[in-house]
Amino acid sequence: MLLRRSAIAGALAAALCAACTVAFAADDSKYPEWRGQWRRPPGVGIQWDPTKALGPAQQAPLTSEYQKVFEASMADQRAGGQGGDPTYTCIPPGMPRAMTVVFPMDIIILPEATYIIIEYSNQVRRIYTDGRDWPKEAEPAFLGYSIGKWVDENGDGKYDVLEVETRGMKGPRSFDASGLPLHVDNDTVVKERIYLDKSNRDVLIDEVTTIDKALTKPWTVTKKYVRETKNVMWFEYNCTENNRHVQIGKDNFYVSADGFLMPVRKGQAPPDLKYFKDAQP
Amino acid sequence: MVSRTTAAFIALTALFGMASAAHAFDEAKYPDLSGLWHRIGPDRWDGASNRDAPLTPEYRAIHEKVRKNEAGNMIADPMLTCQAPGMPRVMQAYAPLEFIVTPDTTHILIENIHDSRRIHTDGRPWPGEADPSFRGLSIGQWQDSDGDGRSDTLVVETRHFQGPRYFDGSGLPLHQDNNTVIRERIFLDKSNQDILVDEITVTDGALTKPWTVTKTYRRDRTPVVNHRETVCADHSNHVAIGEEMYVVGPDGNLAPTRPGQSAPDLRYFPR
Repeated sequence: MLLRRSAIAGALAAALCAACTVAFAADDSKYPEWRGQWRRPPGVGIQWDPTKALGPAQQAPLTSEYQKVFEASMADQRAGGQGGDPTYTCIPPGMPRAMTVVFPMDIIILPEATYIIIEYSNQVRRIYTDGRDWPKEAEPAFLGYSIGKWVDENGDGKYDVLEVETRGMKGPRSFDASGLPLHVDNDTVVKERIYLDKSNRDVLIDEVTTIDKALTKPWTVTKKYVRETKNVMWFEYNCTENNRHVQIGKDNFYVSADGFLMPVRKGQAPPDLKYFKDAQP
Repeated sequence: MVSRTTAAFIALTALFGMASAAHAFDEAKYPDLSGLWHRIGPDRWDGASNRDAPLTPEYRAIHEKVRKNEAGNMIADPMLTCQAPGMPRVMQAYAPLEFIVTPDTTHILIENIHDSRRIHTDGRPWPGEADPSFRGLSIGQWQDSDGDGRSDTLVVETRHFQGPRYFDGSGLPLHQDNNTVIRERIFLDKSNQDILVDEITVTDGALTKPWTVTKTYRRDRTPVVNHRETVCADHSNHVAIGEEMYVVGPDGNLAPTRPGQSAPDLRYFPR
């Protein structure tokens, strides 16, 4: 039976691809065409809600407790620190922040999973679409565990919307570089609807709804990406390369251009050097 | 509306019953590289002692210096501070290899630091200029070596590097001019389809001649419930300050990495 299925599938694939050597691997007739390089639209920054400025203007529905966390983060950043943005040590942003797509992404649609490969911090999202249930145990991850479902919303026999739910996150994570916080319990649930703009097939839309105890209600933000298809080049972004930020214990410092440790805040104490003989009084 | 959508989904799922049983890529044209591939052998480039590495005298001396740690342990292994190993070292497979074969591109996903590769198989020429990178720019071509109508060998050439890069964790160096050229032939072992072979030939100014090493990987066909996320920066306790490397101890304090190492200079902290 399996052999017969494979033979039929192979024959169908061969017939479908006979005239199209660059056809996508998955079944083009059933899945949307999302190949290419996807980028943030020109002029769109890296704040979570791209329609509002970074910082308080985001008007995130934070609980009063997490509003204070957010204000402390911004105050620390004004003083020279990193606040609640954990990515300065090259920890990846994780979900949902990964979908800000700081640097380009490509998307590979296979029947059993959709891969989203994001150059920023080498993040590879695997969205399982094989009908699996949530695993009883999954190691927490910055990107979480994503299960998706393809939907043929307009009933034309072809999938057009990928609905995704992501759970099982680990932290620390923030929505964006201002340190806009997520809850420390990491029980975040992220729901997405990803589809092409009907009026422009080179625009991809991701409606991202975040459910998190740092928020008083689910927060939906719409991200858009534009497609580059001609002469696509991929560059490599290595966060750790020339990263001058270092973390020692719970404090962050900076390494100067001439190779010396330096404070990031006015009046910051140096690290304790008790394990070095030549630093003893 | 919801029920209509759901009904459509169910209908399509039934339609896909056959397709989803088949592997993701075109099985009629490409080899089945599904599963996760684990390196066979130790973390040494030639799988043994590297004794036959054809290093030039200059680079043999550099290797000795690194090995003896005369330059401080800063440069011994950039991976300690989460620097990307780059090519060819990523093929040491510090995490299992996962292949996604599409007609345009073969992706090799490796959850280590920044090791994942993108091998272009769309027939593109070498660009006049390309940003140098640790993993380089890879252009490949599928070949049907036995003429059975199905591609079986991925022939890859990789150029346009940046450094520093080393072959492995022993500090075996590549030339700092980064003009490395790497040619690979990747194929399944004819006698065992669960063994993947990568014949890797490195041409580099640190070597007296092209050096060919054959790496092998063993397939794990166990269905993957959870692809493990690896984040080096999340677990690395090494800190680089200038040319020196230190560790942060469990108590959060900076500590030396070798006997007699001096404390970092705190000249920029007010006294």
